[in-house]
Amino acid sequence: MLEARGLTKRYGGFLALDRVDFHVRRGEILGYLGPNGSGKSTTVNTVVGLIDPSAGSLWLDGAPIADDPVAYKRRIGYVPEEPHLYTHLTAIEYLTLVGRLRGQTEQTLATKIPAMLQLLLLWESRYATMAAYSKGMRQRVLFAAALMHNPDLLVLDEPFSGLDVTASLLFRTLLRLFAAGDRMVLFSTHRFDMVEKLCSRVVILSKGRIAAERDMAAFREGRAESLEDVFVHTTGQDDFTPVARQILDLMQP
Amino acid sequence: MTNMPKVRLKPDTTLFADWRRRFTERAEWRLTEHFFRAMFDFGFLNDLAADSFKRVLIGSIGGFVAFGFLLTRAYMIKYALLWSSGNSEMYRRALLGDDMTIIGLPMLLVAFVTLIVSQSLFPDERDFRILGPMPVRRIVVFRAKLTALLMFTGLFTAAAHASLVPLMILTSMNPWGDTNVILRLASWAIASVTASAFAILTITAVVGVLVLALSRSRLQALSTVMRSAVLGSLVVCLPLVSHLPTLGGPLSRGERWMALVPPAWFLGFQRLMQGSTDRALSHLAIVGMAVFLVVAAVVTATYVILFKHFERLMLRPAPMSPPWWRINRAPLLSRVAPQFRGVSGFTMATLTRSDLHQGVLVGLSACGIGLATIFLTSSIRLSITASIVPFLLMFACGVAVRAALALPIEHRANWIFQVTEDHATRRDQMRAVDRVVLMYVIGVPVVASVPVLWMAIGEDALLAGVVVASIGLVFAHAVLLDWRRIPFTCSYLPGKRFIGHSAIMGFAACLLFTVISSGLVRIALVSVNQGLVITAALLIIGYWLRERRLVAWKRTPLMFEDEFPDQLLQLQL
Repeated sequence: MLEARGLTKRYGGFLALDRVDFHVRRGEILGYLGPNGSGKSTTVNTVVGLIDPSAGSLWLDGAPIADDPVAYKRRIGYVPEEPHLYTHLTAIEYLTLVGRLRGQTEQTLATKIPAMLQLLLLWESRYATMAAYSKGMRQRVLFAAALMHNPDLLVLDEPFSGLDVTASLLFRTLLRLFAAGDRMVLFSTHRFDMVEKLCSRVVILSKGRIAAERDMAAFREGRAESLEDVFVHTTGQDDFTPVARQILDLMQP
Repeated sequence: MTNMPKVRLKPDTTLFADWRRRFTERAEWRLTEHFFRAMFDFGFLNDLAADSFKRVLIGSIGGFVAFGFLLTRAYMIKYALLWSSGNSEMYRRALLGDDMTIIGLPMLLVAFVTLIVSQSLFPDERDFRILGPMPVRRIVVFRAKLTALLMFTGLFTAAAHASLVPLMILTSMNPWGDTNVILRLASWAIASVTASAFAILTITAVVGVLVLALSRSRLQALSTVMRSAVLGSLVVCLPLVSHLPTLGGPLSRGERWMALVPPAWFLGFQRLMQGSTDRALSHLAIVGMAVFLVVAAVVTATYVILFKHFERLMLRPAPMSPPWWRINRAPLLSRVAPQFRGVSGFTMATLTRSDLHQGVLVGLSACGIGLATIFLTSSIRLSITASIVPFLLMFACGVAVRAALALPIEHRANWIFQVTEDHATRRDQMRAVDRVVLMYVIGVPVVASVPVLWMAIGEDALLAGVVVASIGLVFAHAVLLDWRRIPFTCSYLPGKRFIGHSAIMGFAACLLFTVISSGLVRIALVSVNQGLVITAALLIIGYWLRERRLVAWKRTPLMFEDEFPDQLLQLQL
């Protein structure tokens, strides 16, 4: 189980995360929902070790990750929000680089990379540098890079942006099967539909704090108000009709 | 009476403001402005680094102005001597060489500048994708790109010529009343601007042919290599330009090989405008005009072809087979650590494909070749210059490889190195950097200088080569001093130190290194035993330093964000 205990992050005077607690159990996909600027990406960056928290800690299977951050990093796979990768490399070269950095043998890479590219429909473009790839193609490369080393925990930051319908369906199924294999997924997004279809639980973040935490079964069985309603109430979102009207007015010549 | 000008001026000002507003609000102007600004944006600097880069740019302009004054001061002494000699023929000969230099210097500068922005010379795929869906006609995009290019190169052309005007006025003065200063200045301005335009067009033609001939991905590496080759050639031209003042004699004798020196063509053009009837100079002018027209035709043709087939050229399908140099490539040995192989492969792929990184590597290394050329063509004995050349090259290669590896390629993509950083394998990752640096700072100077050493000292060149390689092993430590980055993954802040300070320190370090190292080579060549002792000592020192470095790398975390020195500037002399 992954646990965040009192996770806090300050940037100068700005408090991006304020004593955030959550946990992801094995076999679970945890939805991490929040409006822009709520602290989702800060949480994700802290969880994958790109930034250090100002206070609080992360625990994996009962041990603080600060004790052995390298061992922890070996067990996670990460798909960032924007497909930032080295576009002067081909997909094969990039996956080889990632595999080598993670210490995988040449034999393993020679088997896994071609198979992964074929399954992700990137095989035809294998000789082109990724500069020529669309956003969706780059996102698929990032998925492949995150999965190749068989991680325990998958951290996804808006992973479906840019993916076409087929790829989205494929990855949804893949994530379900991945989690079912006694592994964990932290799924940060602002899309309700994805959370409703994929996640077992959802944590709603607002202004750097946990605003709500719900079991998704209750929504699916109709025992609770909709996720959108919970989100609107807990994050203090207003009725957007006046703003929408103002925009339409502005459009007039 | 006092009110009248106000009454007259008011509508004029409004008209001008109105015209200005209408002009600047046009899509074409907006696009031109955007393309012009993009020429100053190298794409790899973050906001902090961009500010720092501006300081470097201002410092460089200051340096350029100072160089102009220094040149004028040096020529004052030369011309005072010529005027006092009473020999008008000598003055005329010197003037031919100096005029050629004054034309050649801006040519070289604008060629450099054009090559640096060569990525922006033609509308590219990004322009196609972003501007394609906008309600802007393609002709407007092309016109804006051309106008931005003209503005950018025009800026540098104007600055280069303005800084040379005092020198031109100085060289025009003479006690024999040989020239009309105004006519001379005007003809120089026309000829020299034409020469600079020729330099711009030549670079544009080369880039244009590359854009049309090479597909987006397959031959990207070849395109990069060709650009770097042009850059290297331009740097090597620097010492040749410094020899131009000595070519007054061959020019006045009308020697035929002068037709191979481009500034001579435009000097012929200048003299033709001044009314010269010299046949050799007229011939040079004709050659220059012919070549100018050919290059201009190539550039026009490239723009027209690109304009007509923009979609087809920009949206070429991705290659379906590997390039020929990768077919049947043998698999790598499996005993090497994967992390070493990962960083090594990434470094080589980036140096092969990135214009910027390869350009920095080749350009700075070519400075060493340029310096070596100056020494080799000087009147100093070959046996002395041959022992200096390897170390000039080594120093330049060291600076070049460090600078190239320090520049980021896609800074935001470095998260993959951050999330996989592991103290247990860091040594292997950094060993890959160590290998690249060692191969470059030892390999290039040894291969390039052994033939020169052979010509100078015969068979002893082999022993000298071994000593040079051993010195390289020690020098690599200086190149990698304080280094704790995976190549191309750390942000970069240019101008961390005052540019003058860096230049003085660099010059002093180069001088010290060259003097000590060439001294060591000469001592080693006294006897074979002495040579072997020195080599052994250097190898031991080099090995010890390398081991120390690898141990230190294992302990120190990698650096992903560049930092300004947190202490006040100290000269550290």
